[in-house]
Amino acid sequence: MSALPLLGVWLGGWALNIWLARFDTRATRALVAVIFGATIVILWEMAVRIYAIPTVILPAPSQIADSFVANRSILWTDFVQTILRGALTGWVIGALAAILTAIAIDRSPFLQRGLLPIGNFVAALPIVGIAPILVMWFGFDWQSKAAVVVVMVFFPILVNMVAGLKATDPMQRDLMASWAAPYGASLWKLRLPAAMPFLFNGLKITTTLALIGAIVAEFFGSPTRGMGFRISTAVGRLDLPLVWAEIVVAALAGTLFYGLVALIEKKVTFWHPSQRT
Amino acid sequence: MTDAVLNAPAARRLRLSTGDLVPILTVLLVIMAIWYVAAIRMNATWERDQAARAGVELTLPDLVSRTLSQDRPILPTPHQVAQGLWEGVTGQPVTSRRSLVWHGWVTLSATLAGFAIGTGAGILLAVGIVHSRSMDQSVMPWAVASQTVPILAIAPMVIVVLASTGITGLLPKAVIAAWLSFFPVLVGMVKGLRTPDAMQLDQLRSWSAGRAQIFWHLRLPSSLPYLFASLKVAIAAALVGTIVAELPSGATAGLGARLLSGSYYGQTVQIWSALFAAAILAGVLVALVGLIERATLSRMGLTR
Amino acid sequence: MRHLMLSAAGLALMAGAAKADDLTLQLKWVTQAQFAGYYVAQDQGFYEEEGVNVTILPGGPDIAPTQVLAGGGADVVVEWMPAALAARERGLPLVNIAQPFKSSGMMLTCLAETGITDPATDFAGKTLGVWFSGNEYPFLSWMNTLGLSTEGGPEGVTVLKQGFNVDPLLQKQAACISTMTYNEYGQVLDAGLTEDDLITFKYEDQGVATLEDGLYVLESTLEDSEKVTSLVRFVRASMRGWEWAAENPEEAARIVLENDETGAQTLEHQTRMMSEIALLLEGSDGTLDEADYQRTVDILLAGGSDPVISAAPEGAWVSTITDRAFD
Repeated sequence: MSALPLLGVWLGGWALNIWLARFDTRATRALVAVIFGATIVILWEMAVRIYAIPTVILPAPSQIADSFVANRSILWTDFVQTILRGALTGWVIGALAAILTAIAIDRSPFLQRGLLPIGNFVAALPIVGIAPILVMWFGFDWQSKAAVVVVMVFFPILVNMVAGLKATDPMQRDLMASWAAPYGASLWKLRLPAAMPFLFNGLKITTTLALIGAIVAEFFGSPTRGMGFRISTAVGRLDLPLVWAEIVVAALAGTLFYGLVALIEKKVTFWHPSQRT
Repeated sequence: MTDAVLNAPAARRLRLSTGDLVPILTVLLVIMAIWYVAAIRMNATWERDQAARAGVELTLPDLVSRTLSQDRPILPTPHQVAQGLWEGVTGQPVTSRRSLVWHGWVTLSATLAGFAIGTGAGILLAVGIVHSRSMDQSVMPWAVASQTVPILAIAPMVIVVLASTGITGLLPKAVIAAWLSFFPVLVGMVKGLRTPDAMQLDQLRSWSAGRAQIFWHLRLPSSLPYLFASLKVAIAAALVGTIVAELPSGATAGLGARLLSGSYYGQTVQIWSALFAAAILAGVLVALVGLIERATLSRMGLTR
Repeated sequence: MRHLMLSAAGLALMAGAAKADDLTLQLKWVTQAQFAGYYVAQDQGFYEEEGVNVTILPGGPDIAPTQVLAGGGADVVVEWMPAALAARERGLPLVNIAQPFKSSGMMLTCLAETGITDPATDFAGKTLGVWFSGNEYPFLSWMNTLGLSTEGGPEGVTVLKQGFNVDPLLQKQAACISTMTYNEYGQVLDAGLTEDDLITFKYEDQGVATLEDGLYVLESTLEDSEKVTSLVRFVRASMRGWEWAAENPEEAARIVLENDETGAQTLEHQTRMMSEIALLLEGSDGTLDEADYQRTVDILLAGGSDPVISAAPEGAWVSTITDRAFD
């Protein structure tokens, strides 16, 4: 019986979306996604109230929003510590190292044949498992979190970049050669631009990896700030709304980070067929 | 996680020709050498401190031999890890709690369950998205957003919440594994189901094929290469999910629990052995998916 | 603890096989000798004789027993009193029903080379490792009584969220780390440091000891008379288990090892842990001593700006269970 209102809200949201989806303009597309999200949140709020779910198990969205507003300064400190210092630093270092490595081994088929299978292997590994080891090596502050992120993002970007540098046609390469273009020029003018779609794939994948790496590494030792620290300690203090507020921050930061990389990609690879809408 | 993998020369990913062997071995040897040097350097501090505390002088050969055989090295040497792995696998019956085979099995079972759930969910959602515009517009953005939730960080909470509803054991871990593995499958399948071009679709429609027939005879077969490419990513993701779910959640068995207890008792060799066991497991799983892929695609005549 | 409860066991046998009552016990930490009493009671059939069917759930670094209890994942939890009282103040009505541990095993272990000799004067400006997930309260109270800020700086102390091992001390990432007499302290010694290299400050000696490892249930559980009866039996059997474990440390360690699914524990370490735990049990028959409770509350209330609890709790413990168990 108590499930009826929930079902009603769900069906209402769904019907609205089916009607809206027919228009298929940019505005309605965004609206459809927003309505879907809003429906989920309303259902969540209703479920918590109807079934009287205790806060320590699942706080209601309204409680999470209150906590978000009340703990703004804590959330900001944690955001700076984990996302800006840990994840972003590690991501930039890891990406640069991977791009340079890819260009370095691009000239040597021997190195490619040796490194790539190993790179592919490592890219599939549960890298998160090295977090306790790196905390032991690099100390408790953000440096160890950045180190975890470097290792996590390095291999996916490397594999993509190497594939991208191979992504030119023989005909294009021959054309370059017929103009007597030196290696540097053909790399700069032809092969790097051609590799961009692949590189950005790697960069997009690793945005969420970087976040996860930085947060999970904090479970293994941290100073008394950071999102991973807060998530694990606030559970111990039964402050679940704060935990969820941190999760909201992480999800927002992840979406923003991904969106930024996708935006840069649009600017850089405007010529690529996948960007045509 | 997706386009890149799909565009990579996936079919040739695991086919190593003998020509690759020499370079791979060379690179591995270099890695080993670096590892040994690093082990000596990182473990030396402790030996020097200990010598200073005891008031003795260490000669260089002494120092080196000690750094390579510590009980609690900061960085265990390759031979210590190999020994730890060997003992973990063969040192006791596989049913023993000290056996890496036993822990590997615990992790593997949750991984496969999560992989199955995630793949099923991913394929179903993809089919829905391809056929329903409203679903495409509402679900797809949130599927992307779902991957930014640090599910790994809230794994312990997920476990506790599920336990409160009476779900314990393998399933909570599988849920987290599924959360990570459904996304690559979803994206790969959506891409794959949309590969048939207008001409092929028109061809089938001119034979008055319905939606269902188009799906079974055209969309599904042409999506398989994409599906398999993302399955390789998904199975690795499922393993990561399971291991992380085992880490902080008070799970008492599995490779993640081994990592944790190794960290807890400062048994670095145990940490590294568990890590390598996980690595080998990941490699075997991805290779298996690759084998199934080759067999399936060649039978369907889809190998490129 | 010292008056053996053979009579109780006899009574239970006479009562015949009462309908087995199911209880789930959530431990505070991983399977180890710290919880030997419960594993012994299960292994030696003490629970069975009492007619209770107990499921023991091991904890872990990110398992908050209070959350498990609130979520209905367990009937009884092993928890430290500071965390329990803090949860109570947050609206989760936890009640202490028994207190097997008389003394606190918590201490701060420092490297002697840091020159720390007196907490009151030497901690300022140092980095200290602390456990969280509810274990930070005793430490925060102690710093409060010393008047040290935990926000870092030259006048305060820099706090690290310690992982679950002693490496920060071995690698000098912290001047001091939290250790338990029965566990981490031994690990520091195993790693190759000697007692002369270390200086330790027991919370007991510093006068800031709080009660550890008590048994807690939710208030609502105590309103159910059948549950109360099985809790009485459970406490009685558990205390028998503790008695047995304290007398046979090596056997108890073996039983703990059989129950450890990670396979990471060693007999030697667990036996030593059991002997140390036995020292903490001394002087308690499982009944909570009101003076100890009062001292814990006073310590938690003490301190300046950020006390762990803001008001003296009401009804945070009952003696009804232990009174009936040991009558």
